[in-house]
Amino acid sequence: MEISTINIVNTIGDIFAVEAEEGQKVYALIKKAFDNGNKVVLSFMNVEMMTTAFLNTAVGQLYKDYTEETVKERMQVQDISESGKISLKRVVDTAKLFYKDPDALKRSINGILEE
Amino acid sequence: MGDGLTGQNSATNTSTLIKKMYMILSSINNTFESYQQLITFYQSNKDNLFSDIHLGLQGFFAANMSAALGALLDLFAADLNEIHFDSISPQIEQILLKNDFLTYYGRQRLHDSNHTTIKFQKLKPTDGKYFKSYVIEELIGRTELPHMSAGVKEKITEAIYEIFVNAQIHSETKFIYTCGQFFPNKNKIEFTIADTGIGFKERINKRFGSNLNAVQAICWAVEDKTTTKQEISGGIGLALLKEFVGKNKGKMQIISDEGFYQFDTSGVIARPFVGKFPGTVVNLQFCTDDHSNYALKSEININDIF
Repeated sequence: MEISTINIVNTIGDIFAVEAEEGQKVYALIKKAFDNGNKVVLSFMNVEMMTTAFLNTAVGQLYKDYTEETVKERMQVQDISESGKISLKRVVDTAKLFYKDPDALKRSINGILEE
Repeated sequence: MGDGLTGQNSATNTSTLIKKMYMILSSINNTFESYQQLITFYQSNKDNLFSDIHLGLQGFFAANMSAALGALLDLFAADLNEIHFDSISPQIEQILLKNDFLTYYGRQRLHDSNHTTIKFQKLKPTDGKYFKSYVIEELIGRTELPHMSAGVKEKITEAIYEIFVNAQIHSETKFIYTCGQFFPNKNKIEFTIADTGIGFKERINKRFGSNLNAVQAICWAVEDKTTTKQEISGGIGLALLKEFVGKNKGKMQIISDEGFYQFDTSGVIARPFVGKFPGTVVNLQFCTDDHSNYALKSEININDIF
């Protein structure tokens, strides 16, 4: 399987990976690589700041289009900071739940109403 | 009206038919009562058109609250009301000239020789690049700031960004207003982001067809993994922010519609206002003398993320 390396700083032209729209650019590249059957190495080299909003669009929405197994098998990250790792893990875990159980949010609204 | 908002309702100048409103905001700090004063001020003037609003600021005015006040005054200006600051105590005036707030109302900026202000800024939601310059100039790049570890500085910046991006994505606002202040003696930073968008309640109820009140809506939104986005997962930003504020022993306040939410070391206070704020204010207070090591190695294995 071929490997595509995607450099975030180069893709968005910025060392601040913060805006959701910028995440969309990264997501589009990952999708292109996946659809070609490639593995992806996502490089966070020189990324100085990131938000979960960026990570949700860049990576989280992969779980909308691909199975957990596919993402696990094909995605790799490198050069990510410790705090970035924590944020990314949270984004990934949340995305898995979100796409697996779309009604969970509605149920949590009902939960607040019952409190 | 006690030490809060006072106002003479109106005086009509019959020759020009311009309605004049006289209002005084007094002792505006980051408290429920102060936000209530701002809301009452908004509610008293929101239906005015082409009037003169004479605003006095007395006693005390927390500089970061310029963001919330600026947002309200812009709504009045959109109805061609003219804002006049004609009774501001000298101390307040100095601060609001130093942090650029009054320059939006035709006044000359004063140099901030104490270097404690974080400028008032009004940005369009699409102005992400300007916000980046602002964050670098006013926070990251400031060498004269109170001693802060690199880790704390990074977490504070990240937190501020999460809130800005939330306003960009969710609020449907025309402008985003930001302002802050350093308190070197207290080792604190206050930072506020305000918008005049649709607010938490409408956003959530529209998405889920629910009927949450504003307080319930905010409480739901700060829970982990809750989001109104349809296609993309999320809802982590506010939860992460709350966790950081807890570790940092800071404070986080959210004001949206008639809802007030505050989280700090004493826990959560969530209660309604009388009247609503026409949008959302997020106010963050951080401790700069936080010695926690935020760069600690996490237990997450890079090969075990997905």
